[in-house]
Amino acid sequence: MITSRRGLRLGVATTLAVALTAGVAACAPSGDSSGDVTELTLIAANSPWTEGLKTLAANYEDETGIKVNLEYYGNEQLNDTLKVKLNAQSSDFDIYAYQVQDVMREFSRNGWLTDMTEYVADDDYNWDDFQSSARDAVTLDDVVYGVPVMTERHVVYYRSDLLEAAGIAVPETLDELEDAAAQLDDPDNGFYGIAMRGAKVPLVTQFSSFLYSYGGDFQDEDGNASVDTPEAIEAAEFYGNLLKEYGPPGATNMGWVEASAIFAQGNAAFYLDADSQAYTFLDASNSAVVDTVAYAAFPEGPAGAHPYNIVPQTVGINAFSEKKDAAWDFIKYVTNEENTKWLLSEATVPVARDSAWADDAATAGFPAGLVEIVRGSSENSVGHDRPQLEQVALAREIVGGPVVAAIEGGDVEAAAKTAQKSFQDLLDGEK
Amino acid sequence: MSTAAVAVRHRKKPVGPKILSVVRFVGIALVVLAFILPLVWMLTAAFKNNLDIVTPARTFDFEPTLKNFDTVFGAQNFLPFIMNSLIVGVGATVIALFLGVPAAYAIARYKITNATAFVLLARVIPGVSLLIPWYFLFSQVKLVGTFTALILTHIFVTMPLVVAIMTSFFDGLPDELEEAAQIDGSSKVGAFLRVVLPLSVPGLATSAILAFIFSWNNFLFALVLSNQNTRTLPVAISNFTSYAAVDWGGLMAAAVVITIPVMIIALFAQRYVISGLTAGATKG
Amino acid sequence: MTSTTTSGSRPVRRRTIGDWIDAHLKWIFTGPAVAFVALLIIFPIGYTIFLSVTDSASSVTRPFEFIGFENYAEWLTDTERFWPAVGRTAYFTLTALGLELVIGLAIAMLLRKTFLGQGLVRVFILLPLVATPVAVGMMWLLIFEPSIGFANVVMKSLGLPPQLWLSGKESALNTLIFIDVWQWTPMIILILLAGLSTLPEEPDEAARVDGANAWQRFRHITLPLLAPTIGAAAILRAIDAMKTFDIIFATKGRTGGSNNEAETLNMLAYNESFGNSQYGSAAALLMLFLTFIIIILATLAILRKKGTRV
Repeated sequence: MITSRRGLRLGVATTLAVALTAGVAACAPSGDSSGDVTELTLIAANSPWTEGLKTLAANYEDETGIKVNLEYYGNEQLNDTLKVKLNAQSSDFDIYAYQVQDVMREFSRNGWLTDMTEYVADDDYNWDDFQSSARDAVTLDDVVYGVPVMTERHVVYYRSDLLEAAGIAVPETLDELEDAAAQLDDPDNGFYGIAMRGAKVPLVTQFSSFLYSYGGDFQDEDGNASVDTPEAIEAAEFYGNLLKEYGPPGATNMGWVEASAIFAQGNAAFYLDADSQAYTFLDASNSAVVDTVAYAAFPEGPAGAHPYNIVPQTVGINAFSEKKDAAWDFIKYVTNEENTKWLLSEATVPVARDSAWADDAATAGFPAGLVEIVRGSSENSVGHDRPQLEQVALAREIVGGPVVAAIEGGDVEAAAKTAQKSFQDLLDGEK
Repeated sequence: MSTAAVAVRHRKKPVGPKILSVVRFVGIALVVLAFILPLVWMLTAAFKNNLDIVTPARTFDFEPTLKNFDTVFGAQNFLPFIMNSLIVGVGATVIALFLGVPAAYAIARYKITNATAFVLLARVIPGVSLLIPWYFLFSQVKLVGTFTALILTHIFVTMPLVVAIMTSFFDGLPDELEEAAQIDGSSKVGAFLRVVLPLSVPGLATSAILAFIFSWNNFLFALVLSNQNTRTLPVAISNFTSYAAVDWGGLMAAAVVITIPVMIIALFAQRYVISGLTAGATKG
Repeated sequence: MTSTTTSGSRPVRRRTIGDWIDAHLKWIFTGPAVAFVALLIIFPIGYTIFLSVTDSASSVTRPFEFIGFENYAEWLTDTERFWPAVGRTAYFTLTALGLELVIGLAIAMLLRKTFLGQGLVRVFILLPLVATPVAVGMMWLLIFEPSIGFANVVMKSLGLPPQLWLSGKESALNTLIFIDVWQWTPMIILILLAGLSTLPEEPDEAARVDGANAWQRFRHITLPLLAPTIGAAAILRAIDAMKTFDIIFATKGRTGGSNNEAETLNMLAYNESFGNSQYGSAAALLMLFLTFIIIILATLAILRKKGTRV
C-alpha cells in the first residue's frame, strides 16, 4: 500500500480539507430576511471617523438591537472593492463611505447611490446645520447623495521654535512663505525649508489652493479646462519652485506619507497639507515636533487666500441595498447633532456640522490653533480641491503634469499646453 | 592527477555531519545575511515607535517597545485572521496537490504539453480581469464571504504551480521504475502511488510549501471575496493604513506576526525537500 | 499487459475497474485539473473579450456600444503609455529572471550538500518569499527613501553618494528589479534544490573518476540533467515577473510614478480598470497583455527545447 506515514498524512489532510470546505460553505451568509431588519453592513476606509464609529455602532445596537457590521479597508482597497462589488450590483453591504469628489459623479450616474434628499429633509435632523460648502459638495443636480462626515482644510504646519529663533514672522503671503523657507533651508545638514507632496497625482489636491490663490482654477465657469491660463502657469511654477529649491530630494515620489514623515522627524520648517494630519504631529510616538509644531492659515497669493475646504469622507446608502430605511436610520443616528459633537470632542474627528465647531467644550480636544482656522475658514475657501468631472483620476494625472515639470525644472508652459489639450479632450468626451 | 589519488579522495566521504570548508561557510553566511538583513530591519522596526522608524539615526539606537504587538493582537485582533489564512491556505494547498499531482504525472508520461499550457493559462491571466466576473459568479451562488470561494480562487493560483513543478519532476524520473513495478503485477495507478510518489517527495514538499506561501500572501481575491469573518491576513494588514496616518510600527509588527506561522510550516516541510532516503532509491 | 502475471503471482482480481482506470489514466488524472481551470476561466476570458470590443466605462451596466477593434487600435498606436509599458515589462522580466536564475543556481549549488544547520538556512532563505508583499513593499519604500531611509545611510558610510533609488526617473525600475531579485531568488533556489536532490549520482561520480573538475562536471553533467527543473522555474517566474504588481503598487503607486517610470503592462491595465473605470479599453489592454505573455512564454519554451538538445 501507500507508505503508512504518507498515507496517514494524506488521509487526515483530505478529510480535514473536505470537512472544512463543506462545513464553512454551509455557513454562507444568510440571505436578506424579510420583515424586521436585524443587521446592517457598513464598509469604509480607516479614518478617525471610523474609529469613533465603533463606539457609536455599539451604542446603536444597545438602543435598537440592530447589529451593525463594520468592515474597514485602506483607502485604495476600499475604492477597488466598491467598484468590483457595485459593478456586480452587490447587496452585501448597505452603507458605504466614499470620497465624494472622486466618485460621486460617477457613482450617481451609474445608479450606485441612493437619493437621500428626502431623508435629510427630516425636521429633527437639521440639515442646514451642516457647513454650506459641505452640503454643496454632496449635492449634484439638486439631489443629495450622502452625508458629509468629515471636513478638511489646507493649512500650514510650521516650526514655531525655528521661526522664533530666526526672527521670522509667521508668513501671511505666499512670497513671505517662500522667503522663510529659503532662509531656513539647510540641505547640507539634511534640513529642508519646506516639505509638500510632489508625486503627480497626490499633489493635485494640495496644488489647488495655490492655483486658486493665484486666481486660477482647473476649470472655468463653463466647465472647460483652464490649466494653461497665465495664472495657472504661475501657480505651477511657484509650487514647483518651492519644492525644487527648498524641498527634499525625490520630491516627485512623495505623497503625504513621505512628506509628513520628513516634517514629523523635524527635518522641515514648513509642511503644507490637510489639517486632518495634525494628530500625527502631536503624538510623541510619531513625531519629534510635538512641542514645536504650530498652525497657520493658508497664505495669500496674488488673488488672496483661497485654500480648499472639502469633504474627504461622505457616507451614503448602497442603491442595491434591501434595507435602505434602516440604513438611513443608522446614518441619521451617527450624524445627528449630539453624536457629531461627541465625535469631535472624543474621537477628534473634524466634523461637518457648524454647531459642533461652535461649541467650545466640543472643540476642547482639538489643537487651539486649528480650531481658529476652521472657524474662520468658510469665507474665502473653495469647496473642491480637484477637477470636477467623472473621470477625476485621469484628470488628476493630466493636470499634475505641469507641476511635476516645474519641480523637475522643465518647460512648464509647454507642459501646461499639453495638459490643457488632454484635459479639454477628456471633458469633451464626457459631454 | 593520478586515478589512485582521485579514488582515495572519492572514498573518503564522511557519514556524519559534514564539516564545511571555510569558503563554503563564508559563502553561505553571506547569502543568508543578504536575504534576511532587510527583514532584520523590519523586525527591529516592529519594536520601535513610528518616529524612530523614520529616523535613520535611530536605526540601531532606540528604545524597544511592545506597543505594536499589543496593537496587532489587541486593537486589531489578528488571531482570527491568522486562523482564516490557515484554513484557506491548507485547503487550497491540499486540494491543489490532489488535482495537480496526478495531472502532472499524466502530462509527463504521456507528453500532453497542451494540458500544461492550459493549466498555466490560469496563472498567466492577470488577476484584474478575473475580479469582476468572479465576484459576479460567486455572488450569484451566494458564496461571497465564504471560505469556499476563497479556497476555490486560491486553488486557481496554486494548482498551476504544483503542475509545473511536478511535471518537471516526473520528467526527470526514468520510466524503468514504473515498468519494473508493473512487471511485478502492479497497475499503472498502483505504480504511481507506490513507486513514483514516494520518490517525488522533494517535489511534493516544494510544491506544497510554495503553494501554501502563495495562498498565504494572496491579496486581490481575498479583498473582494472575503467579509469580516473570513478576512485573510494580507487584507487585514491594510488596517494599519488610515486616511491620515500610517502606523508603520503596527504594520511591521503585523508583518512579523504573519510570517511566523509560515516559517513554522516551512521548517517542518523543508525537511522533505531534500530527503536522504529518496536520493538513495534512484541509485538502484 | 496484465496477462504477464502468469508467472504465479496473485490472481488478477480487480480486472474491470483497475484496468479501466489504467487504460484511461491519461484522462482521469488530468481531467479534474483541466476541468477546474476551464470552469473558472471560461466566463472571465469570454467576458473580457466581449468587453474589449465595447466602449464600456464607469459601470458595466451602463449602456455601451460595440466599437470593434477601436480599443486595440488605440493602444497599439499609443506611444506614450502602451509601448513604453511593453518595453518596461520586457526589460523588468528578462533582467530579473536572468539574475534570479543565475544567482539562484549558484546558491543552490552552494547549499546542495548536507551540512550542519541546513534546515535553518533553508528556512531563513525562504523568508523574503514568505513575508507579506504589502508589508515588504512599504518596508522597501522606507529603506529607499532618499532623506530618511537606511539605504542612503549605508551609502554614506561607504563613502558613496546618496541615490534617489525609487524616487529617481532612471533608477526606479532598476531598484525595483533589485527588490524583485531579493524577494524571488529564494523560490528559484528552492525549486532547484529539490531538483538537484533527485539527480542520479552515477554520472557525476563517473565523471569525477574520469578526472573532470568541478566546473566541467557542473557544465556537462549537472546542468543538462537539471534543465527541465530550470525550465519549469524559469517559466513560472517569468509569468509572475510579467505580472508584478504588489511591490510596484506599494512603492510607486497606481500610475507607476509621476513620470510613469515604473509602469508595466499590468499596472497600466489596473489603472485603466480601477483608476479610470474604462472597462472596455482595459479589457482590450488585458487581451494584448495576454498575447504578450504568451509570446514571451513561447520564446522561452523554444529556447528551452534548443537548450535540452545540446
